[in-house]
Amino acid sequence: MAGEKKESTEDNQSLHVKVASPFRVYFDEPALSISGVNKTGPFDVLPGHHNFITLLDACVLNIRTPNEERKIRINGGVMHVKADMANVFLDV
Amino acid sequence: MKSLIEVAEEQQAMQSVLGLTSVFEGLASMRIAQVKDQVLSSQHFFNELWNIYSKIRVNKEFSYGRNDQDKVIEKNLFIVITAEGGFSGDIDQKLINWMVDQYDSKAQDLVIVGHHGALQLTQLGVPFKRYFKLPVHDSNINVGPLINLVKQYRSTTVFYQTYVTLMVQDIKKIELHRAIEQASKDADKDSEIISEENYIFEPSAQGVASHMESTMLQITLTQTILDSKLAQYASRFRSMRSASEKADDTNKLLKMEYNRTKRFIADERLKEVVNGLRKAEQAL
Repeated sequence: MAGEKKESTEDNQSLHVKVASPFRVYFDEPALSISGVNKTGPFDVLPGHHNFITLLDACVLNIRTPNEERKIRINGGVMHVKADMANVFLDV
Repeated sequence: MKSLIEVAEEQQAMQSVLGLTSVFEGLASMRIAQVKDQVLSSQHFFNELWNIYSKIRVNKEFSYGRNDQDKVIEKNLFIVITAEGGFSGDIDQKLINWMVDQYDSKAQDLVIVGHHGALQLTQLGVPFKRYFKLPVHDSNINVGPLINLVKQYRSTTVFYQTYVTLMVQDIKKIELHRAIEQASKDADKDSEIISEENYIFEPSAQGVASHMESTMLQITLTQTILDSKLAQYASRFRSMRSASEKADDTNKLLKMEYNRTKRFIADERLKEVVNGLRKAEQAL
């Protein structure tokens, strides 16, 4: 996993996305982008995104990977983006 | 002396008790393993969240997810977590008595979780502000209503049962902010500061930090409830193990009694045959 993360930051074409709640990890893989909704509206995070922390509204997270598009319905949470790592902490 | 059929029936009933207690023992053991996994997983999540939070909230105290303008009740909130029903032994009683010794209605308000504790408080004539049922399930525990109360009070102390080992359970109290400090001690320490100079915040650093505080409070309270449930499962496991052992012993005694009764009946028949033969010989 660490090797994948390093690779993703080096080629700058993917970012590592992790979506977890306190009791379960829903997604933990490299992806091309992640989209969500916050108070200002829908937004996308792509590789190379600026450091970013946002509260998420209830929405469907859309994670695009080279092979598929994963949709995860959430009630809210916090997204932390730094150095091509997007961590989504879902609400309890 | 009991008849052979009576002993056989008793033995069969005891066999059922043995089977049932073994099943309950297995269930309790399985639940203990599940709850332990959940606590570990939530601790990892908490550490990751704390790691970010501590970089936003540099040199600021944990404010329970409150905004500056929120009014605070100048009292301490006591939350007591007890079992919902039977099989909990005397540990709830100990917990309630310990809490009541420290309770002063002028300085504290009381919230009780679990029907068993509520019943005991009512019997003791100690009034409580709110009562919540202990969650039946071990996952997706909704502590939102409790968090809303916690935010209104200056400080909160939680009284609960704690799991030491499978055979030992204890009672404990912890101030919620200390529980959060304790839980955060395993988080990575790193000197980076997250501010609006190096990050984009949505809606604001304060808003994000408050939300994180709420989430961490929820995790800590959930962990306390899980710890309490763990102790209850362990207590149930212990009771079932002891019941299972007793049933096994009784079953062995009944087996001996069954064999003894069977031998007695055979002996009686033999005696009758011998006596019959003797009488036949005398008659000749």
